[in-house]
Amino acid sequence: MPPKNKGGGRAKAAEPAQQEPPKQPQTVRELEWQRYYDTNPHQKAYEELGLHGMTPADRQAYLNQEYLKPGAAKTLSNKAQKELWKQLNESNLPLRSLPRPRDSHWGRDKNGRDIGDYTIEEYGAHEAKTTKLLNLFFQSQAFKSKREKASNGDGHLVGDTVQPFTCTEDDFEREKVRRKEMADLQQDLYSVKTDPYALDPEWDDVVPIPQVEPEGALAAIAYPDEYAEAMSYLRAVMAVKEHTPRCLRLTERIISLNPAHYTVWLYRFSIVKALNIAIPDDIEWLNEVSLTYIKNYQIWNHRQLLLDHYYPTIVTSPSEVAALGDSERQFLERMLEEDAKNYHVWSYRQYLVRKLGLWDEEERQSIEALLDEDVRNNSAWSHRFFVAFSDPAHATPGSHATEPDPRVPAGVVDREVAYAQAKILLAPQNQSPWNYLKGALVKGGRKLGSVREFSEQFVTNLGGVGDAEEEVRSSHALDLLADIYKEAGEKEKADLALRRLGEKWDRIRKGYWEYRRKMLE
Amino acid sequence: MPIKTSLARARQRIPHKEKPAAPKSSRPGPTKSQYAQAELAGQDFNSLTARSPAHSPVHESQGPNMIPLNPLFTDYPPIRDRLATASSTVQDDTVAECLPFLAGDVRTVPCNEHGVPRLDRQRHIKFLRKNLGKLPGRFVSLDASRPWLLYWCLNGLSLLGADVSDYRVDLIETARSMQNDTGGFGGGIGHDSHLACTYAMVLALAIVGGEDAYEVIDRRALWRWLCTLKQPDGGFRMAVGGEVDIRGAYCAAVLITLLNLPLDLLPGSPAWTEDGPNLFTGLGGYVRRCQTFEGGISAQPNGEAHGAYAFCALGCLAILGAPHRTFTSFLDVPRLISWLSSRQYAPEGGYSGRTNKLVDGCYSHWVGCCWPLIEASLAGPSSLMFDVNKTKNSNIDVHNLYSREGLIRYILCCAQDQSKRGGMRDKPSKSSDAYHTCYVLSGLSSAQHVTRLLASDGEGLMTHSKYDVLPYTGSPQIYDEEDRVSATDPVYFIPEGKRKDIMSYFLSKPGF
Repeated sequence: MPPKNKGGGRAKAAEPAQQEPPKQPQTVRELEWQRYYDTNPHQKAYEELGLHGMTPADRQAYLNQEYLKPGAAKTLSNKAQKELWKQLNESNLPLRSLPRPRDSHWGRDKNGRDIGDYTIEEYGAHEAKTTKLLNLFFQSQAFKSKREKASNGDGHLVGDTVQPFTCTEDDFEREKVRRKEMADLQQDLYSVKTDPYALDPEWDDVVPIPQVEPEGALAAIAYPDEYAEAMSYLRAVMAVKEHTPRCLRLTERIISLNPAHYTVWLYRFSIVKALNIAIPDDIEWLNEVSLTYIKNYQIWNHRQLLLDHYYPTIVTSPSEVAALGDSERQFLERMLEEDAKNYHVWSYRQYLVRKLGLWDEEERQSIEALLDEDVRNNSAWSHRFFVAFSDPAHATPGSHATEPDPRVPAGVVDREVAYAQAKILLAPQNQSPWNYLKGALVKGGRKLGSVREFSEQFVTNLGGVGDAEEEVRSSHALDLLADIYKEAGEKEKADLALRRLGEKWDRIRKGYWEYRRKMLE
Repeated sequence: MPIKTSLARARQRIPHKEKPAAPKSSRPGPTKSQYAQAELAGQDFNSLTARSPAHSPVHESQGPNMIPLNPLFTDYPPIRDRLATASSTVQDDTVAECLPFLAGDVRTVPCNEHGVPRLDRQRHIKFLRKNLGKLPGRFVSLDASRPWLLYWCLNGLSLLGADVSDYRVDLIETARSMQNDTGGFGGGIGHDSHLACTYAMVLALAIVGGEDAYEVIDRRALWRWLCTLKQPDGGFRMAVGGEVDIRGAYCAAVLITLLNLPLDLLPGSPAWTEDGPNLFTGLGGYVRRCQTFEGGISAQPNGEAHGAYAFCALGCLAILGAPHRTFTSFLDVPRLISWLSSRQYAPEGGYSGRTNKLVDGCYSHWVGCCWPLIEASLAGPSSLMFDVNKTKNSNIDVHNLYSREGLIRYILCCAQDQSKRGGMRDKPSKSSDAYHTCYVLSGLSSAQHVTRLLASDGEGLMTHSKYDVLPYTGSPQIYDEEDRVSATDPVYFIPEGKRKDIMSYFLSKPGF
């Protein structure tokens, strides 16, 4: 039974407070300890002095406090309990005390800082955020439940009538705002990044399929979060062959992150087809993408697929076909402004000419403009050859590029030969028009000798020394002349031209010129 | 009038020219992506621009034993037009960029008496091994090309003589994860099957070799899938819904013969008719239609001649039959050779991919590896009894149709990243990567070896022509013997022994 106490404990407890004014707690941990000692007034004395060092009154009060724990007093006899309450009353002990704080219970925040070290204000703000997050979470749950009920067609009572649950646009918008808020709070509190797709109520029904790399996978890429997330949603919708507007938007997102992803392009086209999307709309989007990823390969196959799909719907309307041709040409010219030799752009352009039958003056002029810009643009030369000599109006189907085609009109050959010659004069060492010249002559079934004089103007005193020193302004002229002399049976002259090429004018190709010399025999 | 430019004038044009005493090289400043990639290589970026004094001792190319450099590789070409256009400007810039490397003016690495730096084998191996490991997020652009990365690295390592058997187990698992039930391999996990990715993955599996690796490939499904890609015009689509181009022709031909797939066409194929065509029907004709008026080959009929497609065309035809037969029956060979030869530029020595475009190290393979097949087509089958470095048809020096020296100079001086980073590159101003490392080394191998067609058993399909690839010993040999890389199969571009192993494995296997 506890000894009597004359209330000394209280005076004792008050003493330290008089000696040093109570420190204002700086952190929540200090505050918690302060509250603990406030509600356990003799604890401090016990810790500092030990049970035997305490005054009897303090010791009594301290020990009495043990009996304040729930149920503890009941273990005493009635008499003892009565005495206990009397003593407690006298010593003015708080009836309820806080448990001893555990320093580790605060946890750490996203920066690794102990939350217990937060100032009171900081902690208050932190608490406010967690509470808000929890509230938002409940609201979001309520939204989901309402949406589910609405989709099940469930009803609820409004006054006397049963109204169906409805989920309005507003509800969706509010939910989006709510999720954004939740994501920001989670980021702020826990550095937890919320996937953009998880933010969008529209994607709630999709369970993303993450990529699982086998153990030890070679050349495995540490995907950026946004890419990994978008891809896991793509896998999920592709697995069920979903073709909906949201999938279309998903493909746009993935293409913006990795335009080389051919699978997503092919998937996109299947969606466009399934949704019967107006092709000009997709082309508009595609133009933007093309100008952003100028070197991309997949864009052009997609464009071709779109056109193949769209063309039959307008084929009977010449004005629509012409309009398409114009807009496509305009776009291609923009692309070529960025990169005049882009292989894929030119490949697509050939497809387009064939598809829409653009074997016209306008196409040739558009090429000429590019050659005026840069006469060495070999892509433009190649395209010109195609437009001039593959026009089904006068080309033999299946005629090989390096063999004569008797159907090509003489006027076309004349025009093309003259064009190449005019361009050679601008820069005689430019190989493109020389290749073109030879190609046009062969296609037209002309003798190479028909440009003998033209070619000889770039070579003076072949093989000459001293006063009549040899001068060559174009190794390509000399190359062609070797063929011209061979054609004319002037083997020695041909041999000399080839020898001089190997000796002086184009030495890196000496082995080739020697081979050509052997071929004269 | 021709404009003749001396080396002196050329050097004045070089923007980053430095004095011999300067500690840094005259390399152009690093680009942003170089910084990014340097980070991958785990190196301090300074090492890209400067080397420690230990690595840049005496400039050996100025030593007494130095053989004077051929002005072909140090001067601008003898004829240059005055008219400047975008193409000529970038061409001049490229020459200016390469000249200091060709002349040994970049005083960071020791050169031999020919002014050629050593092949930095160990660093290139390390670079490729790194590319097979975990890759950082910016490699996302290669997410649909992972089989390519595997092939580039494994083939590059093989060319460098490194052992790749330690990758076998991991490669098998990686390949499995990208194979689709519907046949073929995708560019990544869950990606649609793609012919180029399938080609790269099958070659990668062949390089590590072994039954486990071969058995990953679902050949029956692969064959069914190829049937859906075969087109009425003879070509192949790259994927279901994908484009048709000449890459498909080569990749399909490689897969069919390497894996001994049946040639039969399933009735569901877009190419199927009552005449009973097979997978090879019309393929030669398709390749033929891709030859252009310039003589080179384009991606699709009527396009612009391009080096990479020339290689695909010749590779495909060399599989359809012996080159001396197929090349002449499907192509205008003299025009082709003229165009191929025009791809080599001086003073750079390297190849460009198209007329009036710039040299790029990767064409060392795409254009360079056309030559052994051209040589075989010109010389025809030869007997083992002849000295390999002399051709049967002594009339033509088929092994020297191009300048081996020029190409090797470009590769070792310009296309080799001589910093700690290692790897091969397009040109000195570009960063090394796995793609260029593989194909530059492949070009180097082709320039260091001679290929002869040994025999071919008639016109029948599926009879693989036998080649014999041996070191080229003609002079001048401007590189040290230790810097000769391994020989490779001239059609399949995997080590010859590995090609034989996988072919005989599937030839002896009954059914699928």
